[in-house]
Amino acid sequence: MSQSNYRLIKTLLLIFLGIWLVFTLFPLYFMIITSLKPVEEINRMIPTFWPHTLKLSNYAGIFADPGSLKSLADSVIVSVANTALSLLLGTLAGYALARWIRGAAGENLAFWILSNRMFPPVAVIIPMFFLFDSMPWGTDSYFSLIVLYLVFNLPLATWLMMVFFRDAPRELEEAAYLDGFTPLRAFFRVTLPLVFPGMISVAMLCWIFAWNEYLFANLLTGTTVKTFPVHIPTFTLGSQSLWNLIMAFSLVAMLPPVILFVILRRYMVRGLSLGVVKG
Amino acid sequence: MARLELQHVCKGYDRPILDRLSLTVEEGEFFVIVGPSGIGKTTLLRCIAGLEVVDAGRVIFGGRDVTRVPPYRRNAAMTFESYALYPHMTVFENIASPLRARRMDEASVRKAVLEVARLLRIEQLLDRRPHEVSGGQKQRTALGRTLVAKPDVYLLDEPISHLDAKIRHELRRQFHTLQELRRVATVYVTHDYAEALSLGDRIGVMGDGGLVQVGSSREIFERPNSIFVARHLGQPSINEVPCRLSRDGGALTLRSLEGSLSFAMNGSQRTILEKVRGDVLVGIRPQHIHVANGGSTSQIDNARVEAFEALGATGVLIAETGGVSLTVLTSPEENFEPGQPVRLGFDVEQFLYFDAVHGRNLRA
Amino acid sequence: MTAATSDAATAPAVAPDWFAQKRRRGNLIVNPLVPWVMVGLPVAVLVAIVVYPTIWMAYHAFQDTNMMSLFSGNWTFVGWQNFATALTDDRFLGSVRHLVRYLLFGACLQVLLGVALALILYECIKNNTVRVTLLILLVLPMMLPPSIVGVLWKFLLQADNGGFNHLLINLQLLPANQRIDWLGTRLSLWSITLVDVWQWTALPLLIVYSGRVSLPPAIYEAARVDGASSWLVLRRITLPMLKEVIAIAFIIRFMDAYKFVDHVSVMTQGGPSESSELPVYIAFQKGIREFQVGEAAAQAWLIFAVAAVLITLFLKYMKRVLKAQAIA
Repeated sequence: MSQSNYRLIKTLLLIFLGIWLVFTLFPLYFMIITSLKPVEEINRMIPTFWPHTLKLSNYAGIFADPGSLKSLADSVIVSVANTALSLLLGTLAGYALARWIRGAAGENLAFWILSNRMFPPVAVIIPMFFLFDSMPWGTDSYFSLIVLYLVFNLPLATWLMMVFFRDAPRELEEAAYLDGFTPLRAFFRVTLPLVFPGMISVAMLCWIFAWNEYLFANLLTGTTVKTFPVHIPTFTLGSQSLWNLIMAFSLVAMLPPVILFVILRRYMVRGLSLGVVKG
Repeated sequence: MARLELQHVCKGYDRPILDRLSLTVEEGEFFVIVGPSGIGKTTLLRCIAGLEVVDAGRVIFGGRDVTRVPPYRRNAAMTFESYALYPHMTVFENIASPLRARRMDEASVRKAVLEVARLLRIEQLLDRRPHEVSGGQKQRTALGRTLVAKPDVYLLDEPISHLDAKIRHELRRQFHTLQELRRVATVYVTHDYAEALSLGDRIGVMGDGGLVQVGSSREIFERPNSIFVARHLGQPSINEVPCRLSRDGGALTLRSLEGSLSFAMNGSQRTILEKVRGDVLVGIRPQHIHVANGGSTSQIDNARVEAFEALGATGVLIAETGGVSLTVLTSPEENFEPGQPVRLGFDVEQFLYFDAVHGRNLRA
Repeated sequence: MTAATSDAATAPAVAPDWFAQKRRRGNLIVNPLVPWVMVGLPVAVLVAIVVYPTIWMAYHAFQDTNMMSLFSGNWTFVGWQNFATALTDDRFLGSVRHLVRYLLFGACLQVLLGVALALILYECIKNNTVRVTLLILLVLPMMLPPSIVGVLWKFLLQADNGGFNHLLINLQLLPANQRIDWLGTRLSLWSITLVDVWQWTALPLLIVYSGRVSLPPAIYEAARVDGASSWLVLRRITLPMLKEVIAIAFIIRFMDAYKFVDHVSVMTQGGPSESSELPVYIAFQKGIREFQVGEAAAQAWLIFAVAAVLITLFLKYMKRVLKAQAIA
């Protein structure tokens, strides 16, 4: 292939990439400018692509509104608690599966655990709705969300931790046993530091899912507990959606996963690709 | 008393690896186990260490039955073939690890670690991580970790296999001089017979299922109890010539099955082979053949050079005669060309005779 | 006849007694019960929150349960009726057609785009900082809450003053006096698909990119030395080695897409007039809003069964292909 042909194709490909990039970023850009506009500007017939007036008070409004603050707090509570629980249970099971439960039983068990992820949440929610409704804690509680998010996060956490533990060389633990450490001490002293990066990947993946989740939260909760995805659609004035507030709040709620991703992307990539490659 | 005893130890996975193996290593003894790869040497060490549970038999440390005791309570120390150094800890912490397990106080730990590090000459590396040091230094760190533990038995699994020749040589010297290893029993595993012959007070040759022969290095080399043992010790390998005994009149002669080699059996040789029925596998070590200049009774005149390698201290000649190829040790200064005719002389007194069917040494 | 060359001094022809009677002796390190307890805890949780609902749904799929009968406890067995109703329901069947279109132009397109973009990003951009920055930007949509993405696009796709239409106008792709009714009956499903592609192409992109990064450079150097053209390298080296990764990306997207209703819930609620309904959404509505639990259960099971079969078939096919490749 001649040089100029090659360069032409490369340019075309880069243009393609560029178009996709614009397509990807445009909505976000629009979101940002909308969040800075006053209501009147948004409702114009022809939208502006650059705000005519900047209204930063949209953001101030969020932090003044107790409802919004509470929804953020609720999201934090639910997502952090669920991540911790997923990680704890997943690490326990993952370690046992990686080290001690071998053979056909182990493989089948691990596969069954992972296969739960295939399940449509719809199939889970209908029975659980009625079940929790009849329970003392009711559907509208932190408990219900924290527990139900495990449907997705626990299989993922278990599977990934199992993969990470399998990667950690057994011999190091054996050396620790011969040094005189009991399995428990050896785990904390040798194994855990080795899988720590993996645990971060798992924690991130679980947390992002729990933070972003809408379906279960919308269905089961709404008053006692109100995570932000449920809160956002309530920004209405009569039948009109207050888009500027919605956008502003959404951006704020979107920041944590984005920031985490930027900082810890290496862990996330590793977690995803390892889980994928070995899965 | 720190004697190590194994009584009828059995261990198998999908096939038996150790079959009723019994062994006693005395206090202070340096016992070397040598054998081909995959034969079960590491399995044996792991059973002694407690990392594997034996299917039958007993393991005894200095009178204490530890067969059912987990490895973290056995007080054995092992260097792994892959060193198994903790990558997230410094060399200091790696060596200190057994002491940390015992929750020893900081001052004593420092003292002990420094002492061992100085002994092994790695005291300048204590702040480094395992990935920052060379292979030989890693090995010494692993050894240091074992030494500092002051265990009831030392287990060393091919500790110097993966190092280059010069470092291996130096570390072999260190094993000779380390007094600490003489405090209790030491079991050292290797596939390199030269290492075994050099280091071991006693050597155990390991074959399928267990120890095929145990004895001093001299015993094993000069009186191997089977062709398997003879084959595995010696570089270049022993020449194996399958022969048949023929008795014409009063003379007893060994004739090779392939080709036309023959040796007259007299005197002590004859006594050994008199009663033998069936075929004999004759083992001739390369150092017991020499290039002859004429005159001795046991010689062949019509050999031809096949190949010759000058290897520094010795020369290895492969000569073909009567259809049989023989490896001969010569001086390195020779100058043999392929096809060149050569005369070979044999030191028949040194021949080894093995039963053709079972491989047993007929002299035993 | 050659001399015996058996390597065993004693070669047991028969397995020794102790081996024949060998029981699994486990290890000395932990009490054999401990690992099972460690696994048992999460398994118990999963049983409670997944197995229980599965069985519940399987059971009620054969009953005529609705809200009243659910609380009073008297429902009657109706056999396959719920399934028959679902399979003859035009609305449900329509949603299945929608699903097929959605998966074809959604998940499949995403994987194709993801692969293309990942490889373009990797091959055509050599500056590492630029590459990483672009990767972060491209993968951003995946991190966002799907419900917010739905709300955002609902805002953008408004016919009259939505940003998207006006962007097209500004780019001269649409005449200034025209407005595309993205969320109307004709285009609602395509809009949902569009949003899906916008948000989730990032996942195959990230997976394939990571896969590409981890390929051994030695092969590429060898190819370069051999003088292979870039196109040849792509076809014969990169794509075959990435086959596994691409297949996995596809499965993951497929598994996620067929049960994904966040966008539909937020943007169109299945409308207008059922034009963007997906099977899972209908089941959802039936069960939670209309309380026709029996029918909803049957629908959910139908959907799940078909998906499970397809996924298993695909996995088996993949295993076979990969085994052949591994041997080659």
